[in-house]
Amino acid sequence: MIKEIYAYREMIFSMVQKDLRGRYKGSFLGFLWTFINPLLQLLVYNLVFSIILRSGVDKYYLFLFVALIPWIFFSSAITGGSVSVIAQKDLVKKIYFPNEVIPISYVTSCFVNMLLGFVVVIGVVIYSGVHISPLALLCLPVVMIVEYFLALGIAMITSAVTVYFRDLEHILTIIAMAWMYITPVVYDIEICPTEYRWIMHINPMTSVIIAFRDILYYGRVPEMMTLLEAVVLGVVFLLIGCLVFRKLKRRFAEEL
Amino acid sequence: MDKDVVISVENISKKFRVYIDKGSQLKERMLFKERNRYEDRPVLKDISFSVRKGEAIGLVGHNGCGKSTTLKLLTRIMYPDSGKITMKGRVVALIELGAGFHPDMSGRENIYFNAAIFGLSRKEIDDKVEDIIAFSELEEFIDNPVRTYSSGMYTRLAFSVAISIDADILLIDEILAVGDAGFQAKCFNRLKQIKAQGTTIVIVSHSLGQIEEICDRSYWIHEGLIKSEGKPVDVHEQYLDYIADYRQEVAAKEVQRQESKRIAAEKKAEEAEAEAALNSEENDQKESTASSEQAQDNSGEEIEPTAEELVSARKGDGTVIVKKVLMYNSNNVAQTIFKTDDKIRVDIDIEVKSDKEQAIGVAIGFLRLDGVLCYSTNTLIDGYTVDRSKGKKMISFEVDKLSFLPGGYSTDVAIVNEDGSICDYLSNALSFEMICKHHDSGVFRLNHSWRSSSEE
Repeated sequence: MIKEIYAYREMIFSMVQKDLRGRYKGSFLGFLWTFINPLLQLLVYNLVFSIILRSGVDKYYLFLFVALIPWIFFSSAITGGSVSVIAQKDLVKKIYFPNEVIPISYVTSCFVNMLLGFVVVIGVVIYSGVHISPLALLCLPVVMIVEYFLALGIAMITSAVTVYFRDLEHILTIIAMAWMYITPVVYDIEICPTEYRWIMHINPMTSVIIAFRDILYYGRVPEMMTLLEAVVLGVVFLLIGCLVFRKLKRRFAEEL
Repeated sequence: MDKDVVISVENISKKFRVYIDKGSQLKERMLFKERNRYEDRPVLKDISFSVRKGEAIGLVGHNGCGKSTTLKLLTRIMYPDSGKITMKGRVVALIELGAGFHPDMSGRENIYFNAAIFGLSRKEIDDKVEDIIAFSELEEFIDNPVRTYSSGMYTRLAFSVAISIDADILLIDEILAVGDAGFQAKCFNRLKQIKAQGTTIVIVSHSLGQIEEICDRSYWIHEGLIKSEGKPVDVHEQYLDYIADYRQEVAAKEVQRQESKRIAAEKKAEEAEAEAALNSEENDQKESTASSEQAQDNSGEEIEPTAEELVSARKGDGTVIVKKVLMYNSNNVAQTIFKTDDKIRVDIDIEVKSDKEQAIGVAIGFLRLDGVLCYSTNTLIDGYTVDRSKGKKMISFEVDKLSFLPGGYSTDVAIVNEDGSICDYLSNALSFEMICKHHDSGVFRLNHSWRSSSEE
């Protein structure tokens, strides 16, 4: 399967390109939205959590931002990804190609968007004056790839299941919102009462977000356990995603 | 498995779920359980065949027989419920041409994207793009967005992309109807070339001639099973024979339907006429003499025109008129489709309106749709006398072997006086279609045989 998807790399590339180009097509600010959107979200969360619900965290804007950008990638990959196969139904019904290409392309284009967002993140990090050890910075790509695997695995499941069960698209927007609050994005995991901490730990995004924050906020290399947990979960979800997708794609052409 | 076999299909079957009323939302699924009922409609029951490298096969059958489904299973857009399909090499399907086209992108960009859908890398596409553009003959327009293309240009571009990919197996569904005749011929030649290079080809088509020209074998799929296989010409003969029988059945039903509709309409008209007559009588009694005359005139005007119209739409003096023309097959069933060499009968109902001294002749002529008069005769020429007394009668025209070749035909019927003046001339009184399993051309099929001898 990997070999076949590799053969279709040009298709993935074209679809990502098309998606990125099409995303803000026709809007006045165009591509700038890639940067404006996270900045505005940051502004809102920052207002809420440093003025109204005071969190007491030092440099809260940075604390939030380094987690928010990866979270936006994850949540858009799983919610948007859920309709990605349906959106391409003309292709799926009419032409043979490994259908995995669709969620892969979608998640990849979200990922590219996140990388662009990181241009802003790096800017904010530099502005804040936080010192990041070079070794920690080396861990950053690893964490990103792990998150990519995780998002891809889940997007493969949601995109395939949504073909049979369209409500999932709407259910997912709620799930994504709830998920954000059981992930330490806007708060520190230490705030969470110990007896509920386990919920955080069965959540695969927790270790990813913690790792991002370790690197970019605390400027340190993430703990080995956190990193390992993230890698294992990422790979497991990707495998499950591939298996589910492979099983469900057999009837795509008939269901769509 | 034989080493040369590149496509092997073993006992595949496929059912489609036909939802009676499908609800894909949770609410619908929970609230209306019965909406999720579906029927399994078997499309393919048990199909097996194998194709060797470099062979071309054709799949034929009527609509819904499962041939396109077979092709879809081969392309792996769908998967069989049971059975096994093995294919070796790169498969390219020319099924839905241009399905991946993006209207806002230019022709060139679409070539790249479309070729990518077939699994080509950028480098491979770079190597081919000029060939593709040249083949499509769209050099002038290639950098315009495809939404500005005509539908012919669109399919030409799509076909050019698909056919330029070096496939080991090429699957084609009814697409040789691309662009104008010249481009079609070009595509067809390219296909032959590709076959000669050793590509295996599977074609689904209603154009039996094309299959005969390019394929080594044909499979006739009927109701999910292979009914016959072998040399295309032989398979197609059986298939066409079946189709002819089937279409005759359908056409006979249609004639019956039309006939009962006509009778109902006639009845209604008669009733209306009777009512109108009654009304006018009533009017007569009620109204004063002066206005009653007028009323009579009015009602007269109301009834008469229909008859006048009938006559004026035709030629002739109307002293004798043709009421109805129907064509029957040897089983005495009214029909509009016949097989070449069928026995037929044409029944002509006429009504003699006024006595005249002259004898009349009934004439019948058959014209091909392009207007060529194929055959015409009349009772006067044949020395058959038609009774000229007032009243309705029926004249039958019988042919033992109607040997017209396939195509549409129309029938003209006329009643003439002995001196050549026309009583009634009904052009296109009846149209019918000829079908034939043979491929000869012309107007008639001549009863013939071939022989040869060598000179000593």
